[in-house]
Amino acid sequence: MEARRRDVLKLAAFATLSGCARVPLASTAPSSADWKAAMRSRPLLTLRLSTAPTQDIGAGPHGTRVTFPITGGTFAGDRLRGKVLPGGDDWTVTRPDGVIELDLRITLQTDDGALVYMTFEGIRDDSAPGAPYFRTLPRFETAEPKYAFLNRLLAVGKGEIRPDGPVHVIEEVL
Amino acid sequence: MTLQVAVAGPQKIGAVPLGTRVTAPIASGHFEGPRLRGKVLPGGGDWTLLRGDGVLELDLRITLETDDGALIHMTSFGLRHGPPAVLAALARGERVDPSSYYFRTTPRFETGHPKYAFLNRLLAVSSGDRRPEGPIYTIDEIL
Repeated sequence: MEARRRDVLKLAAFATLSGCARVPLASTAPSSADWKAAMRSRPLLTLRLSTAPTQDIGAGPHGTRVTFPITGGTFAGDRLRGKVLPGGDDWTVTRPDGVIELDLRITLQTDDGALVYMTFEGIRDDSAPGAPYFRTLPRFETAEPKYAFLNRLLAVGKGEIRPDGPVHVIEEVL
Repeated sequence: MTLQVAVAGPQKIGAVPLGTRVTAPIASGHFEGPRLRGKVLPGGGDWTLLRGDGVLELDLRITLETDDGALIHMTSFGLRHGPPAVLAALARGERVDPSSYYFRTTPRFETGHPKYAFLNRLLAVSSGDRRPEGPIYTIDEIL
């Protein structure tokens, strides 16, 4: 029964992450009757990364560390698009419970020349029931006024490993 | 789940290199959802930083205790901003429609209790409502 409920919730969340419908990201009914807001999101950008061979740091105090150098990539959305500058990395650590913690730092360059510093923390759980759970919490910093809205939002990302590199579909939390 | 915390007297650290820092100790609270419920232990806090662009950064660390005795470490980074009139009303301790400003956080959880280990393996987002008696967070698992 619990599994069935979660499946229904997954469908709702998928719709939200895809920007298809304005549905709650989740389930919990607020206890206060006058609280009507539901979590919503809208598409921000899709990020495609290319990576160099990994740097296998090995077993450390937090788990097994593997660093993925980012050599480039592209990003595109309705409000911004451009390329990923080489030089960033995703510092990952596989925890003893099998979950991979992600810690990415990259620089985006928009097609009109603005630089945007982007980070995310995230987790990848390949043993999650059904499908791998690969989610991130991106944040952005920029000095360019046109893109200052990025400084003021939180975002969620859904990641996928493809043959040509990782792809992250990132949505603004409204 | 829904989380409500009570804030003790804020500690106004003041102007620091990155903005204006105010630390809000958390005195108590409670949380409730279909999969977990319980109370907030005293001793945590929200380390807030008002940035130069008017955005308030939130950095919460608290310990949750479930009704069956498990302890859960919870952290949450967040942002709060809105129209000046709305923020001024909040500062005066008035109750404001939470949809009139942006108050969102991204909670993370850590626990050693097997029953709640699912919390170690998820990301979450929350929507906040700054009530005069303390903030209420509606926290959703990112599926």
